[in-house]
Amino acid sequence: MVEVAHLAKRFGATQAVADVSFTVAPGDIFGLLGPNGAGKTTTIRMLLDIFKPDSGTVRVFGGALDLAGKRRIGYLPEERGLYKDQPLESTLVYLAALKGMDEAAARRRLKDWLERLELGEHRRRKIQELSKGMQQKAQIIATLLHEPDLIVIDEPFSGLDPVNTRVVKDILAEQRARGCALIMSTHQMHQVEALCSRIMLINAGHAVLYGPVAEVKRSFAGNAVAVSGQGDFDGLPGVAETRHENGAWHLGLQLGADPQAVLRALLERPGVKVERFELAEPSLDDIFVSVVQSPAAPREAAHA
Amino acid sequence: MPDLWRVAAHEYRRTVVRRGFLNGTLAVPVGLAVLVVIAILGEIAGEDRRPVGYVDEAGRLTASQPAGPDQIEVRAYADQAAALDALRREELQAVFILPADYRQTRRTDLYYLSAPPANDVWGQFDDFLRAHLVAGLPAEAQTRVLAGPQVTMVDPVSGRSFSESGIINIILPVAASFLFFITTLSASGYLLRVVADEKENRTMEVMLTSLSPAALIGGKTLGLLGAVLTQLASYFLASLVGLWIAGQYVPELARAVVPWDYLGVMALYFLPTFGLLTAVMVAVGAALPDVQQGQQIVGLFNLAFLAPIFALTVILENPSHPLAVFLTLFPTSAFMTISLRWGLGAVPFWQLAVSWLLLIGSALAVAWAAARIFRLGMLSYGQAVRPRTIWAALRGE
Repeated sequence: MVEVAHLAKRFGATQAVADVSFTVAPGDIFGLLGPNGAGKTTTIRMLLDIFKPDSGTVRVFGGALDLAGKRRIGYLPEERGLYKDQPLESTLVYLAALKGMDEAAARRRLKDWLERLELGEHRRRKIQELSKGMQQKAQIIATLLHEPDLIVIDEPFSGLDPVNTRVVKDILAEQRARGCALIMSTHQMHQVEALCSRIMLINAGHAVLYGPVAEVKRSFAGNAVAVSGQGDFDGLPGVAETRHENGAWHLGLQLGADPQAVLRALLERPGVKVERFELAEPSLDDIFVSVVQSPAAPREAAHA
Repeated sequence: MPDLWRVAAHEYRRTVVRRGFLNGTLAVPVGLAVLVVIAILGEIAGEDRRPVGYVDEAGRLTASQPAGPDQIEVRAYADQAAALDALRREELQAVFILPADYRQTRRTDLYYLSAPPANDVWGQFDDFLRAHLVAGLPAEAQTRVLAGPQVTMVDPVSGRSFSESGIINIILPVAASFLFFITTLSASGYLLRVVADEKENRTMEVMLTSLSPAALIGGKTLGLLGAVLTQLASYFLASLVGLWIAGQYVPELARAVVPWDYLGVMALYFLPTFGLLTAVMVAVGAALPDVQQGQQIVGLFNLAFLAPIFALTVILENPSHPLAVFLTLFPTSAFMTISLRWGLGAVPFWQLAVSWLLLIGSALAVAWAAARIFRLGMLSYGQAVRPRTIWAALRGE
């Protein structure tokens, strides 16, 4: 459904995106990950034809993105892209009409969405009068109302409480189930683990990880260790991140770091007593941190 | 419905329900209504319908004039004492005395108690007096003398004529041009705010995943144009109704005619000027990171459009002054300068033709540049597009 090949974009002296390639198939939830300023949003904008790439190609629905193709896309930007001074209901109907929906049909379908997301009683209020969470739910409705075949969402859980986060997760899962392709950009790694089938991690404009979530995690096994004991576990060589969780230490290792070397360093450290040392399956969070913080990060790990 | 019209309809609805727009639209009709009501009330409440008396010691007047629907009574008295007694008893509002040497001096003495009679009372007595003075002339001569001189100036270039009685037709275009322009300026300022705002909060990004940039910006411009025309139409209708009502009480206003030639010329200039202004607003709104900075820059551009106001004295004193001609030809100031000059005299055809062509050309050029700057602006959220970058983009680099 989406084929991105060797995409590149430069802004002045900054290479925002360099040689990024990926594909997304119907029924996929594809996670586009990376630190702030990595090039995710620029990639999304090129995908949506908001920017033209300097080089590379984007094929959506089997060809270059035209107006008919754009109407099959639902886009949720990170910031609230709605008319703040307008009533909620009329704004959502207008946006759906711009996507080619009949206004009467949009109004009927909207009624269900508003009820489901508990916005029914606010439908005549101006968007700026809604809370941040309500605005985010309104934005999600705007993204989905016309039943798109491709959904591109940037931080979909921003501003949502745990209950609404769960509702939105269920909605995204439903969209995947009906054969829709989703591209999701978020910093909430646990949501990526729960929802995404495949991911790409972009850092400094380069794709540094790409593949199914399970494979990525498998390839990084050994890149984190769980340690129990006493003493100072901070600042060990080869360790990108140190966390204390549930009475144990979780050490995320830098790319290429040898866990045995970390163990030796621990044992040689004065005052440290190690009671347990075991390789842990890294979370996406660990992988993210180790890849992004590793000085040798880009490119060597690009094909996990 | 094509996207362009859907966006235009949405933008129109969005604009006309804004409080600022409603206030602006209602301000002129309400203001006119208040003025008309005040004028009428002043006429009715302040009108002194008591007769005026006269004493004709020169033997020129022969009778009294009875009161009519629009006329006060002019009452004859045999001598000054009787007339002034009636004035003191407040039976009369004034007494005119034609002394015995009136024929030589043409002097009339007026007596009143506290306030002189209103202008129309003077006018009625003058008419009464003149009618008696010319009574001995043939009927045709009487009519011509009583009508007085009617000077009409005809411009040899355009064939347009200007008469003394048409002063209102000179004032109206000047007032209308200001109104035209303030309306257009405020609407285009709103477009700047919309573009900068939607770029800042990413609404633009969502819209561009449904529409082409041309449909988006074109639709917004058309919607605003509709709103401006609605506002101007409401002003025009209110002015017509106000003039008609006020004309029943103020004779000068009754002689006013709708300046169709002026409206025709302004219609020709209005669209390209609106296009030029909106293109400037789109370019500024897209190039700068927020509304506030946009408004500061736009203030400079507005000066270029409002330049004729600063040259108002020169234009009014000499509408053909080289500065007036320059401002007529310069695209940003053409609309307002021609508005001002139109009521004062003729604008040579060559100036109209050249300035219109220059205006159309510059509106198209700025629209083309605005489209390029808009694309650049979409690339630079949160920061201004640098002038060097704009220049490079305009040169196609």
